[in-house]
Amino acid sequence: MAQSSKAITPDSIRTEPASSSSQYDSALTSRLDAVSRNFFAHFNHRKRDSRQILADLAPVIMTPKMMAHAQTVSARPRAVGTSSTRPTLDFATIGRTPLRLGLGARRTTSRELEVVETASELLAVTLPDASSEERGMPSLLRGFEATVPSADTARARRRATRNVNAPRLGLKRLSLGARGLITEAPTDEAESEDDVVVVVARERGRRGRKKRGRESLSANKVFGREELERQTREIVRDKENLHVRRSLLHNDIVEITNKIEALDVIRTRLEQDLLKLQEDELELDDELLMVQERLELETSQNNQSGSIHPSLMASSRRRKGPAFLPSEHDELPPGVAFMSLECGSTPISSLDFSEPYGTLVTSAQDDAHPRVWDLLTGEEIGRLRGHVGTVKALQVEAHLCATGATDGAVRLWDLRQWDLSDVLEEAEEDGEGTGTDGGVVVERPRTEINGVRTSRGSEEDALGPCVRVLEGHSKAVTALYFENDTLVTGASDKTLRQWDLATGQCVMTMDILWAISHPSTVPAGHLPGFPLAGATAAAGAFALGLYEDFIGAVQSWEYALVSGSGDGAVRMWDMRTGQAHRTLLGHTGPVTCLQFDEIHVVSGSLDKSVRIWDLRTGGIFETVKYDHGVKALQFDSRKIVAAAGENGIKIYNRTSMQHSTLSINGHTRPVEKLRYMDRYLLSGGRDAIVKIWAL
Amino acid sequence: MKTAEVPYAADAEVSLSFDELYVLRTQYEKELAQSHVTTQTMFNYAWGLVKSPVREDQLQGVQLLAEIYRSEPKRRRECLYYLALGHYKMGNFDEAKSFNSRLLEREPANLQAQSLDTLIDTAVKREGYIGMAIAGGAAAVGTLLLAGLVRRATRK
Repeated sequence: MAQSSKAITPDSIRTEPASSSSQYDSALTSRLDAVSRNFFAHFNHRKRDSRQILADLAPVIMTPKMMAHAQTVSARPRAVGTSSTRPTLDFATIGRTPLRLGLGARRTTSRELEVVETASELLAVTLPDASSEERGMPSLLRGFEATVPSADTARARRRATRNVNAPRLGLKRLSLGARGLITEAPTDEAESEDDVVVVVARERGRRGRKKRGRESLSANKVFGREELERQTREIVRDKENLHVRRSLLHNDIVEITNKIEALDVIRTRLEQDLLKLQEDELELDDELLMVQERLELETSQNNQSGSIHPSLMASSRRRKGPAFLPSEHDELPPGVAFMSLECGSTPISSLDFSEPYGTLVTSAQDDAHPRVWDLLTGEEIGRLRGHVGTVKALQVEAHLCATGATDGAVRLWDLRQWDLSDVLEEAEEDGEGTGTDGGVVVERPRTEINGVRTSRGSEEDALGPCVRVLEGHSKAVTALYFENDTLVTGASDKTLRQWDLATGQCVMTMDILWAISHPSTVPAGHLPGFPLAGATAAAGAFALGLYEDFIGAVQSWEYALVSGSGDGAVRMWDMRTGQAHRTLLGHTGPVTCLQFDEIHVVSGSLDKSVRIWDLRTGGIFETVKYDHGVKALQFDSRKIVAAAGENGIKIYNRTSMQHSTLSINGHTRPVEKLRYMDRYLLSGGRDAIVKIWAL
Repeated sequence: MKTAEVPYAADAEVSLSFDELYVLRTQYEKELAQSHVTTQTMFNYAWGLVKSPVREDQLQGVQLLAEIYRSEPKRRRECLYYLALGHYKMGNFDEAKSFNSRLLEREPANLQAQSLDTLIDTAVKREGYIGMAIAGGAAAVGTLLLAGLVRRATRK
């Protein structure tokens, strides 16, 4: 037997206590409280009791899930009910207890308990304020009257009134016969119509006298005034019902539309999550490659007890997996430049580094001596002396550095060797510079200071960092790439040269002009009558404003070479034969930067676009548009990082096709060159500052 | 709430025919199978159930009304009245009173709510009187028995 839990008692129920004085009342009620609480304790319904009862009544149904649900239902706080928990001791409650005890003999079902429990919970639910939107909605009861099945009876009745008592025609049989169906023997069905209005039948007494023309069916029908008025009212009511139903449906449609929109929002969010997962998968693929490579390396290292063979390690340009970074790098906020190095006063023309937090070499315009930096401390170690023109191209691999300058010479440097004299000379020259060039600090090498200063005249004889000089080009060297023992250079004399670093000899020279005028294959996607003369003319009369480099970028791998040139063509060469076997046409401006991996070639040019080509077929995968010409780029399976003539570095996410910019604490002039490894990015700009970012 | 929009309590005593209720039930279940039940169908069915004399149906009707109350904020004002009516018909005067008073808080001028209020009060009082009468009768019988026992004891 369950009694209802403490409900709210509005003041209207209290009859006796309200009339007595308040003080006497309070004293009385407090004593009564104690008595009543004890007396009624038996009948007070507690939440857990109901669950007990439910569990006993139907143990099969009351699975733990249901029990938990019942618990949550009853455990919800009842805001209003908790204030008055003591049993209300007044006439009504006392009076009703006997009824509830004995005579109210109804079986308590689970449904009843649920109803009773949820009642108090419902009261806690807040009501919305009376808003204008409710005015437009028909009330529930009105809707009931409009949609209940009996609403249609009026219409049926009216239709019945229009039924005419005609002699039985056997229409149904006729129609079945017309359709070819077998019919039963005609039976005389009694037609029953409840609401047939009395038809005033005209006596057809004088039959046979004259054969009149057949009258229309409605001729004998007279409805009568009340009937007609009733019908009008009914029709009006039916029309109102129709309006009500229409507004109900309209409301439903609006609600469903809102729900669909909400679901759409959820769906786009889920799709974005899916894209992110794809990106992560690509990253993991790269990492796997690197780990496998390292595994091979270390097993081979165990087999031969030698040092790491350089040819087994991929060059840093091709290495895809994560790099070794100090643990503090993880704490850096992404997208913020955390270090800045000032390199002179002229725009940076090229930069490269050996590894994150390793050695950096930068070169600036009108400065023939690239600077060498230590990225762990952010301080300049020294300078590379030897060139006489701006160094336009450089690459650093471990301790080797190759530079190509406008004097047409290519030099190889060993970054481990630092001659003392070089440092001393530098100190003399830049002695006054410590005040003006902010971050240039000359660091004394680890060896002890030798008091004697031997004068070094010509650098060619010096045992300085320069290991080798490669001469051969007649004009400025604008692009180079080396891997293992092969170095490829491109120069403004429109040739590409391949060098062997072990011997220092030029192995092959590839002439671009010759390749333009003798295409070995028809360029993909072009009409057969393509004017070759036009291309040659373009190449010959090439001088595009400030940009003078005919060969913007090169990269090679084993015997495959890809070059990007000022006529907007990306050529793929076979270095065994020296022929360009494929030309990728599409850019409308000089190609300034390119990179390729096993699947794609990515090239950026001054026509404000970056194109992604398929390596094997030469078709275009994607074109990414920017606002300005692209000067430098690097890509991996997930992103393309580009220097697009803005102060910020543009990053294009290849899986989600979204652009983003690195600009916090960034450059103040457009970015010229950039390079990244794993999550460590370096960028150099026209403001002569190199910034280091954490990706 | 316009006066014509909510029924007086007497309407709840008149029940629908079995056929009508059956149609409402099938409509409700059909929409349930399509997993989109419109509020109107739910209300139609609930109202039909509340009007029926079977207590189980009334309970189910009140449950459905509670469901509407929970899920449709716009319909809550009307539901308050219907819930009060349903509970009153079932005899749960406490809940009926609380729902009704909630409604009256917001709309003191509502005629139907006021009439329901008085109805509930009368019903409560009536039960109280009956209960008192029974208690009194039981007390009287009890004292008679006790007196008889005592007399018997003293006689021995």
